[in-house]
Amino acid sequence: MNHALSCADARMLFALLLYGELSFDEEERVDSHLDGCADCRTALEREKSLHAAFDGVAVEPSAALLRECRTELGAAVRLDQTPRPARSASSEPAGWWDQFLNLVGGMSIMRPVGAVALIALGFLGARLLPSLNLALVGGQIVATTQPVVARVSDVETQADGSVRIVVDETRQRTISGNLDDQHIRALLLEAVHDPSNPGLREDSVSLLSRRAQSAEIRGALVYLVSHDPNDGVRLNAMRGLKAYAADPEVRGALSRALLSDANPGVRTQAIDLLIQGPDDQSLPKVDRAMIGTLQELMLRENNASVRQRCQRVLEAINASAEVY
Amino acid sequence: MALNSGLQIDESALIRSAQQGDHDAFEQLVRLYDQSVLRLAMNLLRSPEDAQDVYQEAFLRVFRNLDNFRFDCSFHTWLYRIVTNLCLDQMRKRKVRKEEPSVLAAADGPLDRMDSVAEERVDGDPQRHLFSGQLRTRIKLVLEGLTPRERMVFELRHYQGLRLKRIGEILGTTEEAAKNCLFRATQKMRVALGDFV
Repeated sequence: MNHALSCADARMLFALLLYGELSFDEEERVDSHLDGCADCRTALEREKSLHAAFDGVAVEPSAALLRECRTELGAAVRLDQTPRPARSASSEPAGWWDQFLNLVGGMSIMRPVGAVALIALGFLGARLLPSLNLALVGGQIVATTQPVVARVSDVETQADGSVRIVVDETRQRTISGNLDDQHIRALLLEAVHDPSNPGLREDSVSLLSRRAQSAEIRGALVYLVSHDPNDGVRLNAMRGLKAYAADPEVRGALSRALLSDANPGVRTQAIDLLIQGPDDQSLPKVDRAMIGTLQELMLRENNASVRQRCQRVLEAINASAEVY
Repeated sequence: MALNSGLQIDESALIRSAQQGDHDAFEQLVRLYDQSVLRLAMNLLRSPEDAQDVYQEAFLRVFRNLDNFRFDCSFHTWLYRIVTNLCLDQMRKRKVRKEEPSVLAAADGPLDRMDSVAEERVDGDPQRHLFSGQLRTRIKLVLEGLTPRERMVFELRHYQGLRLKRIGEILGTTEEAAKNCLFRATQKMRVALGDFV
């Protein structure tokens, strides 16, 4: 037998009502009460507002955090001390884990993460497009488990009425290794020139920067400082060159950035690198040519912060901020 | 069954493949659920670092114990049992140590450590912006005041949209107990926030 609800009882059930978690009978009783009680209908509206307000504190993890989690999980799975052996002996082709073990000979993977710069291109952080995993089996299109990036490049009607489709496929692979590995470096040097993915370029530049002692990598960083359209990539490349700011080629790229880069942050960083002494604490080290460059910058610079930075440097070395 | 890349993927088949050592299958399995796992941990712990730890520990446990998964419950339920246990442990530790609260006391009012992570813009009316900011801060404080179990049930029901029956399965309790927990949580929040709405 149903009992009529008091206002207090009905309001206690509002939250569960909004979540759809009342039993059929409970909901009926609340509805009956609401039919005859304007105050409770108003109270229910307030409850709905409160309900909606809860959504305002929800946090959506950033894509960068998710990517970081995936990369770290990939590394942790590799480093896990108890990799699970396959349950049954199988003649199937080896998976990436086995290929990975074969590739590195099981030597470096057991070292702590901090000791080895283990790069996982592909695993859990794949940058390839979503796969179109289709294969023709027995005249039918079925899904495969191999990740493949596919693009239809041509379609044509055949004489018999059937359709001929040309599909360009890119098969995804996972390659892991040490930053000192030439293959890994070659791939990263390739990745820094991928025009379609600034995030990939930025990450690749950060990794390559750790090996800027290599002339090849330094050359790539210099090129990126002058030519990459993405601010983050140029800044990362400049950070990678910090220890080599005395190198003439590097100085040339930094000077060009100082005078012509569109981003004030890049121009400021160029000043800092160009004037840095042997260590970060020492006084600015500025030669005559550099003074000229800074004075020229003062003539053309519109950004107040960059101007101020430049002026401070000139003042610190007792040089005039103006060109006579 | 779950959706991935527009194609239906048989979750059971993925699990079986992963159990046989297929790491690509394990990766796909992770990707089916990892975003919601990270969101759950982030919302409960309100710290990207702690959420990241829970993410990694949870999926490593799945990786190490996948052989023992016998399909007695759904994979989602099994995974969420692991994740919720890790989060509850972390929340209980915080309650005991009273450290790293997500909402910090500051000279000009409470500050939330996550505000820099997910600042929701309310354009337009500054008063509305202020009110909205105060309400959010208050809600966060009230959420912190809930017991870990109440907080968990509220999170799973409100933000993850899980039914109480499923929440009971995940937390190893009955639907009725989960319902009581949600009831208590919402009562506390209504009392604490009544003057805001």
